[in-house]
Amino acid sequence: MTNLNRRKVLALIGGTAAASLLPMPAFSANRTIKVGALRFTSHAASFVAVEKLYFAEAGLNVELRFFQAATPMAVAIASGDIDYAITAISGGLISLADKGAIKVIGGGLSEEKGIEGQKILASNAAFEAGLTSPAALEGKTFGITTAGSSFHFMGSKISGQEKVSVKFKPLQKVGTIIGTLKSSQIDAWSIVPHIAKPLAAAGAAHIIGNVSDYLPDYQVTTVFTSAKIAAQEKGMTRDFLAGFSKGVDDYNAAMVDKTLGSEGIDAMVDIIHKYVYADRPLEKAAPSIINGSMRLNANAGINMKSITEQLDWFKSEGLVDKNITMDTLVDTSYVKTI
Amino acid sequence: MDIQLSNICHSYGSVEVIKNISFNIESGKIVCIVGPSGCGKSTLLRFIGGLERPTSGEVLQLGAVPKDSLNPMTFVFQDFALLPWRTVGGNISLVLEDHGIRGAKANKIIDDVLSRTNLADFKNALPKQLSGGMKQRVAIARALAVNPAVMLLDEPLSALDSQTRELLIDDLVDLWSKKPFTAVYVTHNLEEAVRLGHSILVLSRRPGEIREVVTIDIPLKDRGYGNAELEKQRKYLWEIMRNEAKAADLELINV
Amino acid sequence: MSDKLNVERPEVVKYRGGGFAPKPHRWVGLAVFVVLILMVELGTQTGFISNLTLPKPSDVLITFSELYESGLLWQHLIPSLSRLVIGSIIGISLGVSVGIMIGLFSYVRAGLVPLVAALFPIPKIALLPLFVIWFGIDETSKYALIAFGTFTPTVVATYGAVDNVDRTLIRMGQSFGLSWFSIVRKIVFPGALAGILSGLRISIAIAIILLVAAEMLGAEYGIGAYILEAGSLYDLERLFVGVVILSVIGLLMSAFIGYFERKLLNWRV
Repeated sequence: MTNLNRRKVLALIGGTAAASLLPMPAFSANRTIKVGALRFTSHAASFVAVEKLYFAEAGLNVELRFFQAATPMAVAIASGDIDYAITAISGGLISLADKGAIKVIGGGLSEEKGIEGQKILASNAAFEAGLTSPAALEGKTFGITTAGSSFHFMGSKISGQEKVSVKFKPLQKVGTIIGTLKSSQIDAWSIVPHIAKPLAAAGAAHIIGNVSDYLPDYQVTTVFTSAKIAAQEKGMTRDFLAGFSKGVDDYNAAMVDKTLGSEGIDAMVDIIHKYVYADRPLEKAAPSIINGSMRLNANAGINMKSITEQLDWFKSEGLVDKNITMDTLVDTSYVKTI
Repeated sequence: MDIQLSNICHSYGSVEVIKNISFNIESGKIVCIVGPSGCGKSTLLRFIGGLERPTSGEVLQLGAVPKDSLNPMTFVFQDFALLPWRTVGGNISLVLEDHGIRGAKANKIIDDVLSRTNLADFKNALPKQLSGGMKQRVAIARALAVNPAVMLLDEPLSALDSQTRELLIDDLVDLWSKKPFTAVYVTHNLEEAVRLGHSILVLSRRPGEIREVVTIDIPLKDRGYGNAELEKQRKYLWEIMRNEAKAADLELINV
Repeated sequence: MSDKLNVERPEVVKYRGGGFAPKPHRWVGLAVFVVLILMVELGTQTGFISNLTLPKPSDVLITFSELYESGLLWQHLIPSLSRLVIGSIIGISLGVSVGIMIGLFSYVRAGLVPLVAALFPIPKIALLPLFVIWFGIDETSKYALIAFGTFTPTVVATYGAVDNVDRTLIRMGQSFGLSWFSIVRKIVFPGALAGILSGLRISIAIAIILLVAAEMLGAEYGIGAYILEAGSLYDLERLFVGVVILSVIGLLMSAFIGYFERKLLNWRV
């Protein structure tokens, strides 16, 4: 009940604030907003935009809020505790969009042919027993965080295309999946390269394939916000996306297209290291950060074909309501669709 | 079988509680031990029953233990010590089971001791359904069931009201008259002592020593309520004890 | 006071002894449930409570009947109940034995009480990944987690209960020459039973809490897995169906123990 009251009060305050700001120009006049992020390199664009003051130039005072997983971030958007966030499409996110709480407004990270993307891993025991390619997944166990997570989607798509059936093991946390994979309690998993490569290099698992072979142009993460902000705070949202896109450009140039040379990479690693692997010394963190480089969508463009494919999969698995449309999930008014 | 106490001394740490007690308990007689509170009379009883060990001195059994006695030294406790989850019959059965007595043989003993204590109708009652006096009669029946050589009664009537106490004194006298048993009876109540004791051991205040041994020659069943000779004995005992009790009352408890 | 002067009716002494004596009012508890559910239904129907805050109770009921009709209810319930029962039986029987040992032997007490005190506050959920490594990802680790979680509170309740067994009863047993084993079986254990059973209420509630945790790892079916999946999909109807099922399991377990208490402890005053 207190929650409800608070939300009502917040809505009232938000309403009056919006009204008083209406005559003002697009520039958001130093408004403070909260942006949710995970400590992954795929969130680098937000870090860069904060560090290089791109958000500040757009008139936004951004506070980063860190989370441990994607779903709590979606819930925090719905409850109004954060304003914008970047994360993978999950069943929870779609359900919240269906309840009218959140909207996807742009793209974050995508798979791209020719650029290292997410890897398919096999445990040592399974590898020795013949799991050397995804085609041999028949009857194997595949680690996922929860039903309806991006891991579930990837595993399902991979096994579907290989026409094999796998058993999904929900393990809640990425850390737990890594532990069970190392001890061969599960047979296979798919994960971003900055986790996959060190595991393979340490002999704790084997890389047996690339996700991009099965899901080319897979829109891994998206930018999203609350439905209310998407509808009523168009100016602020554009400002946010503008700052964010500058961060994306810097990141892609330095880490993916490598047009800035090794100096550019070092400078970018310095920035990212403040947020990712901050507990490790720079020398140790740098290879992991560099390994994790994947293409971020320029100008937060969004791949609608991939989103449609994902939504259809969630529907076909019965994880979300069958009547949800793309319009409910995505607000395409902000960015270019691909 | 007689019991001999020889030079019993006991202390808790540096506090001496019992000093040099030597005494004989004759077979078929009831010995009452009286004394002010804290004089160690209950402790003495536990020495006799083997539940505690004196610092020095020993308790000796003179003569053979009767063959039919399952538990030669048998206690009756002040707070009855009945298992609340067992019926009256079950509580008596408890002390027989460990001697391998079960079924019909056990039932025979149980019925016998219950009828001796006028409890025959309550065999299946739970302790919570019984009054204090009834509970103590069950405890006495339980003690009788193991055919003790010596009954050790530790203030058995102190938790009861005075009317019930009267009735139980009569019961005990009755039991003894029908079949004399040896007993050591600890009490602070002089009325009980003069009604039940063949000899009465008066202990001093701490450290407990024997102040005097009073013997009463009147047969138990003639010691009715209000007997003048008994009243005289009671007054005499009180004269001995009064000053001890007074002093004991003023002592700090540091045991 | 003189009677003659005071001819009016004397004042009645005011009664001031009421209250402070709880009496059973069975229907009140039910009424609280009904009123709360009706309020939520009304609030969600009118939109006063948003669909993000709480689901409609009627929708929860519909979701439950769908679950029942699809047959999935049993598919979720049976593995959960077997985990609950097997895990609790292991934890509780070990806990009672260790608790009695602690109650009876001072060396065991000196050795194990600090250990149990150190184990008790460990959040068992935190150890879950470790349990998976030790016992594998399948049923054994789930049994182990629930067993571990019920073990420590049972130990504490049991040795507390053994400590509270009336010492005069034990003295009585010794004075009648009962064997050590007889004293433990016939006096200590029944005397401690009341305390052990009330400890079981807590242990079983903890077992139900841990059931959800146990099913976090690698469980396809089970009420806990169902709740977690509903939570990650933000499917409030299914989430509440799962939560209600757990509550009902808790109520039934509590009633079960209550029945045992009435049956086994009818000797209590």
